[in-house]
Parts: sequence; C-alpha cells; structure tokens
Amino acid sequence: MSMKGTIVAFCCQHSGYPAADLAGKLGLGSPEALRIIRVPCAGRVDVIHMLRAFEKGASAVAVLGCEEGACHHITGNTRAKERVEQCSMLLKEIGIDGRRVVMFRLSPNAPRKFVDVTNEIEMAAESQGRQDDNR
Amino acid sequence: MEVRAGVFLCNCGGALKNIDFDAVASEMAGIPGVASVHVSSDLCLAPARDRMISCIREENLNRVVVAACSPELTEYPLRRTVQSAGLNGHMLSMANIREQCSWAHEGDVTGKAVELVKMAISRARLLQPVEEVEVGVERSVLVVGGGFAAVNVGLLLAAAGLRITLVESTGTSGSDGQELGSIHGFDIGSLVTAAERDQNIEVLTSARVVTVEGAIGDFTVTISREGKNMARKYGAIVLATGSRIELALATDSDSSAEYQGIGGTNVVSQDQLVERLSRPASGVKPATLAFMVDFADESTRFSTLATLGNALAVRKVWDSEVYVFCRDVKVDSQGAERLYREARDRGVVFVKCPAAPRITSDNGRVMVEAKDVLLGEDITVACDLLVAEAVLYPDPATAALGSVLGVRLDEKGFYQENNVHLYPVASERKGVFFVGTCRGQSDVGRVMNDISSVVINIKDLLSSGKIMVESERVKVDSEKCVACLTCIRVCPHAAIELRGTEGGKEKAVVSDLGCHACGICVAICPAKAIEFQDYRDDQILAQIEAVG
Repeated sequence: MSMKGTIVAFCCQHSGYPAADLAGKLGLGSPEALRIIRVPCAGRVDVIHMLRAFEKGASAVAVLGCEEGACHHITGNTRAKERVEQCSMLLKEIGIDGRRVVMFRLSPNAPRKFVDVTNEIEMAAESQGRQDDNR
Repeated sequence: MEVRAGVFLCNCGGALKNIDFDAVASEMAGIPGVASVHVSSDLCLAPARDRMISCIREENLNRVVVAACSPELTEYPLRRTVQSAGLNGHMLSMANIREQCSWAHEGDVTGKAVELVKMAISRARLLQPVEEVEVGVERSVLVVGGGFAAVNVGLLLAAAGLRITLVESTGTSGSDGQELGSIHGFDIGSLVTAAERDQNIEVLTSARVVTVEGAIGDFTVTISREGKNMARKYGAIVLATGSRIELALATDSDSSAEYQGIGGTNVVSQDQLVERLSRPASGVKPATLAFMVDFADESTRFSTLATLGNALAVRKVWDSEVYVFCRDVKVDSQGAERLYREARDRGVVFVKCPAAPRITSDNGRVMVEAKDVLLGEDITVACDLLVAEAVLYPDPATAALGSVLGVRLDEKGFYQENNVHLYPVASERKGVFFVGTCRGQSDVGRVMNDISSVVINIKDLLSSGKIMVESERVKVDSEKCVACLTCIRVCPHAAIELRGTEGGKEKAVVSDLGCHACGICVAICPAKAIEFQDYRDDQILAQIEAVG
C-alpha cells in the first residue's frame, strides 16, 4: 500500500469498468491508489457504501456511471448523482470536505477520460490533505 | 456452512511481470476460509479449466476466487466452469489483476494485487447460490399495428407455429402500407389477405390495447374492441404502429409563409409524384422539377431514398431538368450511394445549400431561391413542380401506448430502442419489441432487417414453450416490504409489480423474467427490503472493509 490515501471508485459495469479495463490495456496509467468496486449500475451505489469507504479512511470516493442521457438502465446515473450530492452534504456536516466524493459520467470507450478523471480525483484529494485516519 | 475458498491466480502466460505471484500466493494462504491457492498461467484455456474443476471437486471447495484478467472477459465462461464442477455459478468472485492492476501501473504492484484478491475473497465469503429454473412461456404474440411490418411479422411468426393476434386501431389492416406500396411496389393487400386466412392469426380491427400486466413470457393484455374488453395472455409483444408522413417545405417561418400562397398543384409529395409519373400521358410534362431534402429533419433515410429513386424515374419518363436542393445527401441506406452516383450520371443537379431555400410563386411557377455552397452565390431556379420534403412523425397513438406498456419515447416521440446500435428492435422492457418506423426514420431495407431480427428473437424465446431463468436473484422480502410502490415507480424495465401474498396484503414482487439486474430498486428501497445476490449491501461493504 502506497502512502497516498486510497481512492474507492464504484464503477458501473456498462461504462466506468470497461473504460478502466481499456485504460489498462492501453497502459495509460491510472492512480495506483485506486480501488475499483464493480457494480451493475451506478444506481446500485448507496450513500452507505460511500460513507463506509470514508470511515475506512479513503481519501476520496468516486462513482463512475454512464454518460448523461445514455445510462444503460435509464435513470441509474442520475440517481447516483443525487446520492453523491447527498453524501457530499453529510460529509460537510461532519467537517470533511464535500468535494472528496465525486460523480463522473463517461462512456465505456473513453479510457483517456477515465485516466484524466481518476488522476484529477487523486490530485484534488492530495491538495486537500490526507483525511485523518479514524479507523 | 464453513467457507472453503479456492484461490486461483493466473499470471497470464507470464505477462504480468510486475506482480510477484509467489508472494501473493503465500499471503493468501494464511487468510481464514482459504482452503487452497493455485497459480496458473493459462486460466483461459481448457486444460487449466479442467484442473480447476478437479481442484473444486477434490478439495471440496464451495467458493472460487479467481484473480486474472477482467471479469468482463472471463466471468461468464468461468461461471460455466464452476457450474460444471457441481458448484453454483454464482459462487465465483473475481479480482481484476491484469487490466486494472498489472497493466495499469508501472513498477511493482504486488501490494495492490494482494489487496484486490483480499477484496475478492471477503466478497466470496458472503456469496449465495442463485438457482436456475425452467419457466413456461405463452406461445403467443401480440402484434400492434396493421401495416407492412406488422403483417409481415405476424405471418412469419405464425409460420413458426406461434399464435398471433394482430391489433389494428383503424377499421382495416394495411392502410399505412398504401403510401409505401406506391413508392416501393409492395402489394400490401395480398399480405393482409394471407394474414386473414392464416389459422394461427387472429386479426382484430378497430381495437386497442388498454392495459398490459406481467412480464415477458406471461403478459396479460386487455384489448378493447367495440366497447368490450377482453383479457388475453401473450409471451411477447411487438409494436409496429408505424408513423405518419408530413410535408415540410421550409424550416424558417418566413419562406413557409410565402409558400402558403402557392396553389397545391405544383407542390407535391413523393407519393403524388409517383402517381403522376405512372400516368405520363394524361398530364403535362414539367420542364423543370426540384426536390428538397434534409432541411426539416436530420434523419432523411426515407426522403433521400425516395428522392433519388424518383429523380431517376423523372429523368427517364419525362426527361425534365431535375434539381435536388439539400443540406446533405445522406447515403446511409443500402444502395443509396449507387442511386446517388447514377442520378449524377443521368444529369440530376444536386444543389448544396446551408439553409432552407426561399420559396416564392411567380406566374404559376415555383421559384426556389437558395445559396449554393459550391458556387458561393445565390441562385434561383424556376420550377414547374416542387417535391416537398417528407418528414416522419410518430403515430398519434405512440405516446399513449408507450405509457400503457411502460416503454419510453425518444426526443422526437418515437419508441426508444434498448440500444440503437446493438439491440435496436428491443425496448427497455423485456419481451416488448419494435419493428419499422415506430422506432424512428427507416428505409425499407432497415424495416426488413427489423422484421427478421424480431422474428428470430421471438422464435428463440417462445418456440420451445419454456425458458431457463435465474430464480430470485433480485428478491423482495415480503416481511419488510411496506408496499410503498417506490421500486415499482423507479424500475426502468417495468419488472416489478404489486401482487397479493398469503397474508392477504399486496407486496412488491420482482419478475425473474423481466428483471435486468441493475439494482436501482435495491438502492432506493426505503425499507431495505430488496436483496440482490452478488451485489447485496454486505457484499459491497465487505470489499470496502478489505481495502487498505
């Protein structure tokens, strides 16, 4: 485990997950601190999942779903976005920067975007400092 | 039951050099519940699969953890392997140590690989079997519509031995086919006669679909006819409600206002042009003729094909000067490129203009004024006959039927396909299919493709009278369910219904056949009453617990 804080990414199996696979195949290099959890749809991700990741000391959480208007299950990505916003509010309430949890929407054939957004998350999390380990 | 997990690591033929597999294996061996660890180099090949099967049997494993390439590639075949060892296919948990670990990073990533496998193991502990069961399906199909596509689908499916009901809202079948028939030379009448004579086909005219309940294989449909409702059972539903064609002359209101002043005789539709062409002796030959394409609607499959075909016919029959005013000639239909070249060879002039031409009237002639992109200047063509652009709009009943069936519409109001490229004939609701122009602009070639692919899909589904389905992978706990209807409201695939239970109360029930396993209802259920095997809350949380 590197010294960098872990980033937990919930990846929809119709977009984020294949994009991550493609990024690997092309050797584009995503953050090593990334831990991907495969979900059938971004709409499956619940606030409790994101909060537990923070509780475990993750420095950032990302939900990667399908492009807007192109969700495989129609409303999954918009529901995920709402939950990410809800989670962000909860984090703010307990004094954690709400920007540590983000939602991204990308297509399965967008490995470069996957790498860009995950690197962005890592940089943002680093600039906010490592979250205190309160396990 | 005690967890006995077998961990199978694959080094991909030695390609994953930045992972120390011996270190990963020794790390895994100490984890509680792990019965054995195996390192192989070719888990994607049959010999290694056979070894895996014998390992599962000999070591009496009840969980299989595979750390290899992406589950996108190997999850399905590995499930089959696990099944052939006598274990349930869902007792498999995968760690992606190739695409998302070894290949994603430079330098040694043994640490990350260990963590990914640990995550997979902690998920594996909580896995539960999902049984596959055989379910009977109705060997009957409801086809809504009475046009060319509907009648063809009905005839082909009836020939496959399925019972068909053709529901047509108007008094006669085949009325929509007349227009297309005049251009493409179909004989819709004989098709309708064949359908009416077919013993497996029941034709209900002046009828409409009122309600649809149930799921694929077992739809209960209420059809209203002559004020009476009748309930029928169907295995699948095909929508072939077609579209209506409207003429559009210009997109900017300015010039369309001027067009209003022109008499109807020198501005015609493709259909009227064909009619005039078919009796050349009776009318006066127009010396100059113009077509308009791609101004009012971006999708021009229908109007482009009709324009190209008719422009050629006009050159041949009347020998008139022919101009085609267009933003673009889109030749995405089969054979359109050839027609376009032929039209140019035969002297048809294509005028590419960025905006809709101005149309005015001058002594009974139609003046078409446009900016020619290639010449870079404005030109005016005086025509004797102008063929207006045909724009397809959804049938007026589309929206109402869509809401009855729980299928969505696209931004133009046509039925929205499941996947426009990969599965264009299917809706989001399993067992509901679309054929023809009810799913948007189409040409005859594409309609024929739609017909064949729907027929193949439905034959596959219903002809044996039974299908295998995963039972209760997504299940509502009726004790916890408070019947708040949230899941029914959010299910994008209309797969959840309220049903009476033994206690007499109505509870939500997920249809095994209709469910797409997305998990949206699971996350949204306020009572947390829905369990989704492989993606239960505890299974997701267990992976997070294993991080770091």
